[in-house]
Amino acid sequence: MKNSHLVSSSINTDEMKKSIIICAFLLGGSLAFAQEDTLSNEQNYKEIIIQGQQKKNKDQTAEQLQVSTDKLLSTTPGITLIKRGNFALEPTIRGLSAGQITTTIDGMQMFGACTDRMDPISSYIEPTNLEKIQLSTAPNGDQTGSSVGGGINFSLMKAEINAPKSISGKVGAGYQTNANNIQTFGTFQYSTKRWALLVNGIYRKADNYYAANRREILFSQFEKWNAGANLRIALNERNTLSLDYIQDEGYDIGYPALTMDVGFAKAYISAVTHNYTHRSNRLRSVETKFYFNYVDHAMDDTKRPAEMISMHMDMPGTSRTFGMFSKAKYLLSRKHILNVQVNAYQNDLHAEMTMYPDVGSEMFMLTIPDGQRRTAGLNLTDTWLVNSKTRISFGGRAEMNFSDITTDIGEQTLTSFYNGSAAQTRFSGNVFAQATYKMSKNMSLFGGVNYAQRPPSLQEIYGFYLFNRVDNHDYIGNPDIENEASINGNLGLDLKYEQWAVSVEGFVNSFSNYITGIVLPSYSNMTGGADGVKQFDNIDRALLTGGEFTIKWNPISALSISSVNSFTYGVDETGGYLPYIPPFKSVNSIQYHLSTWHFKLEHVGAMAQNNVSTERYGENPTPAFNLLNFGVQKHFSFKNQRALHAEIGVENIFDTPYYEHLDVMEIQRQGLNFVIRTTFVF
Amino acid sequence: MKKIFILALSGVVLLASCKKDKEEETPTSGSEYTLIKKDTTANDLVVELLSKTTTLEIGYSNLFVRVKDFAGNIVDDATVGFMPMMDMGNMQHSSPVEQPEYNPTSKLYEGMVVFTMHSGQGDWELTVMVDGDSVAFPVNVLDSKAGTKYVGSYSGYGANSADKYIVTLVKPFNWKVGMNDFSIMVHKKQTMMDFPAVEDLTIVMDPQMTSMGHGSPNNISPSNAGEGYYNGKVNYTMSGDWRLNFDLIDEGDTIVSGAYIDILF
Repeated sequence: MKNSHLVSSSINTDEMKKSIIICAFLLGGSLAFAQEDTLSNEQNYKEIIIQGQQKKNKDQTAEQLQVSTDKLLSTTPGITLIKRGNFALEPTIRGLSAGQITTTIDGMQMFGACTDRMDPISSYIEPTNLEKIQLSTAPNGDQTGSSVGGGINFSLMKAEINAPKSISGKVGAGYQTNANNIQTFGTFQYSTKRWALLVNGIYRKADNYYAANRREILFSQFEKWNAGANLRIALNERNTLSLDYIQDEGYDIGYPALTMDVGFAKAYISAVTHNYTHRSNRLRSVETKFYFNYVDHAMDDTKRPAEMISMHMDMPGTSRTFGMFSKAKYLLSRKHILNVQVNAYQNDLHAEMTMYPDVGSEMFMLTIPDGQRRTAGLNLTDTWLVNSKTRISFGGRAEMNFSDITTDIGEQTLTSFYNGSAAQTRFSGNVFAQATYKMSKNMSLFGGVNYAQRPPSLQEIYGFYLFNRVDNHDYIGNPDIENEASINGNLGLDLKYEQWAVSVEGFVNSFSNYITGIVLPSYSNMTGGADGVKQFDNIDRALLTGGEFTIKWNPISALSISSVNSFTYGVDETGGYLPYIPPFKSVNSIQYHLSTWHFKLEHVGAMAQNNVSTERYGENPTPAFNLLNFGVQKHFSFKNQRALHAEIGVENIFDTPYYEHLDVMEIQRQGLNFVIRTTFVF
Repeated sequence: MKKIFILALSGVVLLASCKKDKEEETPTSGSEYTLIKKDTTANDLVVELLSKTTTLEIGYSNLFVRVKDFAGNIVDDATVGFMPMMDMGNMQHSSPVEQPEYNPTSKLYEGMVVFTMHSGQGDWELTVMVDGDSVAFPVNVLDSKAGTKYVGSYSGYGANSADKYIVTLVKPFNWKVGMNDFSIMVHKKQTMMDFPAVEDLTIVMDPQMTSMGHGSPNNISPSNAGEGYYNGKVNYTMSGDWRLNFDLIDEGDTIVSGAYIDILF
């Protein structure tokens, strides 16, 4: 993994912007397996490195630490974000989201508390907490859950023991004109030979943003802070102990696409990790982590004008997860590296709603009736270095899930739509094989197949009138729902020459028992103005297919031209188009590097999405859009490796009105925006 | 050290004795029923009117009668009858009843009266007849709590508009969120004094949360259980105020439309 970003000397990594970095990882992976002693990644595994020792382009860190986690995700091929406001965008991978993908923090399972999907866990993590974001588009041995579509892992930044400087850090601040958006952050590290402490914090605040033509998007404000700490102690040469704590609190967060905003969204994330490494032992490493996290979330409609809301509601929710994992890397032979992981966690969800009508008494219900899930799983992966040209990684995961409802009122609530027992046990898991074949110095072919099953989420089993704004239906859970299963195949080609590199990958994901909402005609909706009630249920088949294409060209070393393109196509068993499927999207940039100056012109565009099933899933066609962004960075270097990075940028230069297909309620995105950021590194 | 030990020991003893006292204070029998009224008939029988609730409330009311002779012995073979009477000043009427029958287990005559009105609307008097004699108890019937309606009187529908029907929620009930078993009764107002139970109706129920304008799924409309009782299942998807709407259908003819019971929990 450590060498996975290895790139040819002809490519000056210092010049790369983040989209290029991703491209480089795609390329790098093909070389990395030649390094016998490393466990490099598959081609369908991508990383966005933000900071830390692996980070080659330190200048870029200054920018990445200040942009939102969402922004970092949005430029990654294969990831598209569902937008409900100017905050807490929800990632999808190749048309899959929520329970279909695993989203973890440093391998820790964590679940948002909001019934309306306002708080994907990516909203509780800031780039200042992170070393890198790891994206996998297929199951692999590192995942701590079952998924049918890979996952995103937010790898936390760790303090560096015995760092070159005992005290180091970064402080920065930035301002964006469009939403009067400020952010200010600091990270500090104190390092000794035996231990090191890293603390980081960030504060963000934004007013309503303005779409094109200065159209104010009401209820799009937010405010948040996030603080993290990591203490690492070297117990001895081979053993380190690491303590992590992150607290993230957001307040007064507007969701223009929804009927309610958020009063507060708080997360408390803690972990203790033990690492054993031995570079010449067969048992190469063991990592064991125990963790606990808690999410406290409360929706709020008191800021909305009275005519917009039929009655005042309180909708708080909590999510509590604790668990552990332990993973070991063992060299079976010179050609076989075995990865074993055991993991277990328990998640408890509670969501309730109290309504206060003008006339009549207040009403109370549970929308997630105190659901609980206990999961235990085992992963086994063998990386087989077949010969100097071929590497095959194969393995699987077996997982057991116990789901139940833990309170009397929760059990009673379930009787509203289900006769049987709340408790249930499921088995799920996956088997996978990925191969890389290096045809020549410049060319490698990679591909794989996997079969995966995932259990339905607690919402999909026990949810009770969860409102979905996209199709305007209330959703009810289904304890009899089957596991969703998929057979996934991917095939790709990497070409890399002196001045240019191309990576192309295609995938097919064929589902059985695909989970979606099916209309229950006899049910009447609870949410005023909704069109009816749907129940989570399986449909026989669904098919997702698509791919990513990246190209990078360095005609001269100071100039870099790149293009990152993604496309997904999805149909259900009737041939109708699936929802939340992004259209063809392209991010193209020209970057020019002149001594301490760095210029970047970026084009972001998407084709129209007309593949929608309005009748069944409530989506409307989305028009195409094209944007231009421009940025200039200047770096000042001082003594003792101190530096100042300054950046000025213009986003959406032509103030183009647009929204993306996954933007709920077709709310226009930000218009013209000027950005200024400075970061001081010491 | 010794002192502490003694102190501790005495503490334990004290605690134990306290606990014992409490247990003894808890009466195990007799508390189930509250004495509402008591009187002696002309033939020297002592008649006690009892209820499982401490007060009487509008709607379906289980009432119990204990009959003793002058020596205090339980009389188990008397003929006991209820005759409720509402005096509204300008008119008088009775209400639906189930005549008491002796239950050897409880040693009580168990019956039921539907109080169709509360005492704010007039004066209730319950006449209890025992073996030809009778005692008349003025009873205070409270209204149910605001936002609830446990009994209603409805004019017949269409061709039956001259008829009147009483729809009553059977108590006790213990509402909870989710699926609830419940019963209603239907009586017909034959005369001002005669309210026979109506059997073999088809009932269509539609529960609604009036303040939100939505219903609930999976309800089972009450079906005929005999003697005027109809048993069904109602699904409360949330707590709050619910209205159970009923249409009463007799051999295909709707005889009452828009009867309702209001629930609040």
